[in-house]
Amino acid sequence: MAQTEKKTGLLRRTSSSKKPLKEKVVLMYEEIFAKEDPTKNNPRFWDELFLMKVNLEYLEGKLESLDGDEVMKVKDNINSLFHHCVQALSEEHQIKVVNALQTLCALFRGVHQKNKSATGFDIINMLMGFDKAELRMKELMESLDSLLCGDGSESLKSLCLKLLLCLVTVTDNISQNTILEYVMINSIFEAILQILSDVSSRSQHGYDAVVLLALLVNYRKYESVNPYIVKLSIVDDEPTLDGMGMVIHHALTDYNRQYKDKEEENQGGFFSTLTSMVGSMFIADADEKLSVQTNEAILLALYEAVHLNRNFITVLAQSHPDIDMSATPAAPVPASPTTPLGTTPPSLDMMNNPELPLDPNLQTSNLLITFLKYSSIIMQDTKDEHRLNSARLCLIILTCIAEDQYADAFLHDDNMNFRVNLHRMPMRHRKKAADKNVPSRPLVCAVLDLMVEFIVTHMMKEFPMDLYVRCIQIIHKLICYQKKCRVRLHYTWRDFWSALINLLKFLLSNETILLAKHNIFQLALQVVNLFNMFITYGDTFLPTPSSYDELYYEIIRMHQVFDNLYCMVLRVSTNAGQWKEPASKVTHALVNVRAIINHFNPKIESYAAVNHISQLSEDQVLEVVRSNYDTLTLKLQDGLDQFERYSEQPKEAGFFKELVRSISLNVRKNVSLSTMSQDLLLKEFSSIS
Amino acid sequence: MGDTELELSPARLEELQKSPSTSSTSSTSSLSLPSSPSSGPRALTSSSPSTSEGLPTSSPTLDVISEGVGELSLVIDTEMAKKACQEVLQKVKFLKPDGEVSSATSEPVLVNGTAHPESTDGGKPPKITAEEPEPVKSVRRRQKNNSSKQSWLLRLFESKLFDISMAISYLYNSKEPGVQAYIGNRLFSFRNEEVDFYLPQLLNMYIHMDEDVGDAIKPYVVHRCRQSINFSLQCAWLLGAYSSDMHISTQRYSRGTKLRKLILSDELKPSSQRIRREVPQPPPSCPPPLHHGQGMSEHSLSPSKRTHQRSKSDATVSISLSSNLKRTASNPKVETSQDEPVRLTPQREFIKSLMGIGKRLATLPTKEQKTQRLISELSLLNHKLPARVWLPTAAFDHHVVRVPHTQAVVLNSKDKAPYLIYVEVLECENFETSSIPVRIPETRIRSTRSVENLPDCGITPDQRASSFSTVPNYDNDDEAWSVDDIGELQVELPEIHTNSCDNISQFSVDSITSQESKEPIFIAAGDIRRRLSEQLAHTPTTFRKDPEDPSAVALKEPWEEKVRRIREGSPYGHLPNWRLLSVIVKCGDDLRQELLAYQVLKQLQIIWEQERVPLWIKPYKILVISSDSGMIEPVVNAVSIHQVKKQSQLLLLDYFRQEHGNYTTEEFLTAQRNFVQSCAGYCLICYLLQVKDRHNGNILLDSEGHIIHIDFGFILSSSPRNLGFETSAFKLTSEFVDVMGGLDGDMFNYYKMLMLQGLIAARKHMEKVIQIVEIMQQGSQLPCFHGSSTIRNLKERFHMNLTEEQLQVLVEQMVDASMRSITTKLYDGFQYLTNGIM
Repeated sequence: MAQTEKKTGLLRRTSSSKKPLKEKVVLMYEEIFAKEDPTKNNPRFWDELFLMKVNLEYLEGKLESLDGDEVMKVKDNINSLFHHCVQALSEEHQIKVVNALQTLCALFRGVHQKNKSATGFDIINMLMGFDKAELRMKELMESLDSLLCGDGSESLKSLCLKLLLCLVTVTDNISQNTILEYVMINSIFEAILQILSDVSSRSQHGYDAVVLLALLVNYRKYESVNPYIVKLSIVDDEPTLDGMGMVIHHALTDYNRQYKDKEEENQGGFFSTLTSMVGSMFIADADEKLSVQTNEAILLALYEAVHLNRNFITVLAQSHPDIDMSATPAAPVPASPTTPLGTTPPSLDMMNNPELPLDPNLQTSNLLITFLKYSSIIMQDTKDEHRLNSARLCLIILTCIAEDQYADAFLHDDNMNFRVNLHRMPMRHRKKAADKNVPSRPLVCAVLDLMVEFIVTHMMKEFPMDLYVRCIQIIHKLICYQKKCRVRLHYTWRDFWSALINLLKFLLSNETILLAKHNIFQLALQVVNLFNMFITYGDTFLPTPSSYDELYYEIIRMHQVFDNLYCMVLRVSTNAGQWKEPASKVTHALVNVRAIINHFNPKIESYAAVNHISQLSEDQVLEVVRSNYDTLTLKLQDGLDQFERYSEQPKEAGFFKELVRSISLNVRKNVSLSTMSQDLLLKEFSSIS
Repeated sequence: MGDTELELSPARLEELQKSPSTSSTSSTSSLSLPSSPSSGPRALTSSSPSTSEGLPTSSPTLDVISEGVGELSLVIDTEMAKKACQEVLQKVKFLKPDGEVSSATSEPVLVNGTAHPESTDGGKPPKITAEEPEPVKSVRRRQKNNSSKQSWLLRLFESKLFDISMAISYLYNSKEPGVQAYIGNRLFSFRNEEVDFYLPQLLNMYIHMDEDVGDAIKPYVVHRCRQSINFSLQCAWLLGAYSSDMHISTQRYSRGTKLRKLILSDELKPSSQRIRREVPQPPPSCPPPLHHGQGMSEHSLSPSKRTHQRSKSDATVSISLSSNLKRTASNPKVETSQDEPVRLTPQREFIKSLMGIGKRLATLPTKEQKTQRLISELSLLNHKLPARVWLPTAAFDHHVVRVPHTQAVVLNSKDKAPYLIYVEVLECENFETSSIPVRIPETRIRSTRSVENLPDCGITPDQRASSFSTVPNYDNDDEAWSVDDIGELQVELPEIHTNSCDNISQFSVDSITSQESKEPIFIAAGDIRRRLSEQLAHTPTTFRKDPEDPSAVALKEPWEEKVRRIREGSPYGHLPNWRLLSVIVKCGDDLRQELLAYQVLKQLQIIWEQERVPLWIKPYKILVISSDSGMIEPVVNAVSIHQVKKQSQLLLLDYFRQEHGNYTTEEFLTAQRNFVQSCAGYCLICYLLQVKDRHNGNILLDSEGHIIHIDFGFILSSSPRNLGFETSAFKLTSEFVDVMGGLDGDMFNYYKMLMLQGLIAARKHMEKVIQIVEIMQQGSQLPCFHGSSTIRNLKERFHMNLTEEQLQVLVEQMVDASMRSITTKLYDGFQYLTNGIM
């Protein structure tokens, strides 16, 4: 063994000095591609092959260069290579395992790149041979499972995950990757869970494991029974779920921190010039470095966990002290030689620490808070497609959360107060709020803040209608919970109402442009119905009697918006056309708002006349409102507190298919970027063997 | 038989009872056994049977006894213990200097007043009685006297009047190894709870007194440790706490430390075959053994493997332990391999993590941060539950299943961080043998289904793995997200709502969903507004939320209300044996004085009950864990007078009227009587124990009108900063007097009368109170024992020499002085200035 070791070492040196000389391993590869059985001349061919450093480029290139017929000629040898790779995985000699893993990686990739058009079955045949495929894959998955769960080297585990990621992402559309059928039958779900439940392995491989899981769950999601979906939905082991939450938490925290650093950097440099004038510029700047794409996979994992597993909801509220990474010195290169996916690895060294750190300045945080902060950054700018998708996914996740009863319970828990510093888009017309002094409130306030923030910042020509609809739905679901459970939230409802009214105003003034693309009546109806909730059920969830008065005040103050809206919907609904139906719904929904306006406006006018005041103060208006409630009759509307529950299929299926495709491409790109640094591996194993 | 008992004249008994010290010193020489002073107890432990060689007659019986102790009968064999006591006494006799064995009349003896059938056994060595003729020829005169005296003593020990309090007293005062050894054995015959009360005294004697006392106590302690995990831990904690005052060099090698190590090493297990019989799951065909029927039948409900795994690893907070767990619940391969459950570890880890939280909280600057951190830490703790852990302050056996973390509050303290947690437990037969409850995920709140029916609780992991293909695709959404999720919510409307509202209001509760009803329904805006203000007005008087005083709101909420609320929100709430407990975790505080005060209060409470004096006090349980940490059982339904005054901004009397109604109402009068009875009780306590630092933050008021004094940090010889404040006997402000109906009222006279009666009753049983304190003074550096006259002064405050008339005058004087005392007022002002306590 020691001799061969030396040999490889010598070889490498010579190969670098004498270029034209071919590497031994390449010669061996050539033998494989030479139709004849390589063991003919050398019975120990396979043994020797796996002691040799893999030449990925050559192997992949060679596979790519072969056309269909040529491949069929060497099929037996390739099958044999695959077979011996799998066998080598259970070798004791770690170098062999490493080389086998890398060879497999190259095999999967090379075969797929060449044969993009080929059916999955052809590829399977090419790699393993039909008759053996099931057995080979079973062996492969079992080996990977035991490697991942064993006490072996962390680098090996990392390589295993890389191989799996590589396998899962070889096709653009994950559902067309027929080999995954075997991964479904021979589940590695348990291995992934184990990685997530263990603190040390989680910190090193958690990111890859979570991404892998998110992708596997999306394999033929809508067509067949995916065991990963089923299994994920019933996991109830807290350490595991918590581990998964931690990985997501850290990935998002990392992004948040980087964003904040960037922001501060920009502001620090050109303070006065930048802030007001080119406020939006630095976002574009930050955008370059902080690609949201890298987090799509993590967000997808969060979505699947929240959507599929009800136990995961508790993890959202699981508090961890907010880890201020900037405080810790730049983390030295972790022990594992490879970086996960080649992207910025979340520096997870804090997770190694079982004791919570003692820094008194740390604000306690949890996954939900981190997620809300992340969303607030993502939602600032939805111009490019990836950001739009991420923002949409954020809102979908929030929809799922808002529908969950347990989540609602802790969102509204009066004993769980947090300060959540959301990121607010710098805008010309408003000052950057003193966001350091956010009061400590129940978490639902932060969710509402985020929604209000989105509403007021996205009234633009490229109107993200879909996001607005989701946004209003989330608010509606939260208010339904408050009504049902009589939660009287002390929230600044006034700002909330005026944001909604401004939205109506925007819809009105851009009616023609928007109508060309969107059904604005649906959104208007939702908004008006939110007001109806407050008007008719305000007694069940408003915090004080005066807040009910303020609602009326706000409606009366902005009555023109409602008047105009009524005129508009009336006009549209009287004309025949595609909008007739939805517009007339809005007309009906406006009945109470109009009743309020028509009831109080004359009263206020007469009050002004009697008291000879031209402009009534707020208090005076409120006084009029208070004394004239009794003569006002409202109409109770149907189904205000009913909502359609979120359902992925069929509405969102297209979105998720595209998202998974985008993630696949990204992951594949990054896996290939990561040069499986052989030197480090060798260093590690030379001492072992 | 039994006539010998009666011959013991009451007067003599009294003498023996009251002054054990004198009687025992006089009997010293006769009982001293120079040849082998410790042979009795040592023989009992069976470690050295050779010592009993000189006693051929007794050896067989002794062997039986030693076996009983060593092998450990799970049921304490009282008969055996009694025998043991007798044996030792006999041996005491036999081991006279000249070694002569006395021949005596064998008479059946009464032990604890019950006839002892075994004692008539022929093979038994003869009993020595008072009438026994002088056995030794060359005895001095004194010895004769003593021997008769000693037999008086024996009679006393065997009489039914001999209780645990006396046993402790003799153990402490007697210098006689024989007597000590006898009492050491006699301890076995008392009920566990009786001895438990004096555990601090026993252990303090063990640590700080001479070898003989220690040797006398040890067998009993070891025996009980083998029996009970709880007792083991209590002992270990107390031993640690009471050893802490020793010099560090001596402490390491002291007996107390050694015993503590022995206990914590977990070597004191019940004999191993017994345990083994308990652990393995009986095959379903074979019926469980009768005497374990209860525990076993519960066992079979859940996989026992998992149970034990939890008990071992789950309570341990250090994640390192959980990393042993190779695979998670969904993959049980590794979980099956396990070793014997560790007995003490789960509970120790549980307590340790609670203390750890306290330590970390203390580093945070603001209450808000502390509260947040507390909640998050507790939610992590929840992951390890249920486990074989319990709250030692509770009165029944249980397993802790969940800590409703959001309910926990940080208590008011300047630099420490005591906190109050509520703990959900499931009552069980025996926490050591009953199986640990199955974990129910948090998200299953308000699920009405029973545990067994929960879809994935019942399925074993294997089943899950094999049957997933039959499960429908979960992405059908209605599977994963049952539509009635929010609809299922049980919304309990406040009572008032349904009473005061008209028909229309129902519509605001449930919106009309039927699309067919086209009849428009109208509601008046005024009604909505009115309902809103009504509902807000009808919420019960709660305290406002104050971030600087988070505990006020939590403590004000009536206990029943809180229990109901938490039960509703708990996944375990539907179980019939669900209970809610609460505990205050103190970290960085020495609770040894609190424990002492608890014992004294408890003793006085018993005395007053015995003497039928209707004084009301509320001793609250204290758990000393070390010399700077512990737990306190909170007084429920009580808030401090400081909080009452700050929140209500009312005088105490007005607050009483607000809470209980006007002067003449039944409720007010009851509350007033409660106030007077508790006030009198605590005034006496304050006087006798010299409780200082009596500001309004340390006096609680419960929902029935009782006051409860807390924080006995300054008692006996210690007072805060020795500023000379609080010279009055107790705290009696004019506000208190107002609640009692003024100086001339009947209730005020009743108050003084109660004090007098209470003092007389306490005086009668002074010894019982004194000994509690006196024993704890041994080797103690506690500030309450500062100086040399602590006990003397305490005795003096009982005024044994005064007549009842004189006592009455004394009470009058004290009340007078306390009321007029400006120091009380001054002290309140001082507290207000320094600590913001009103």
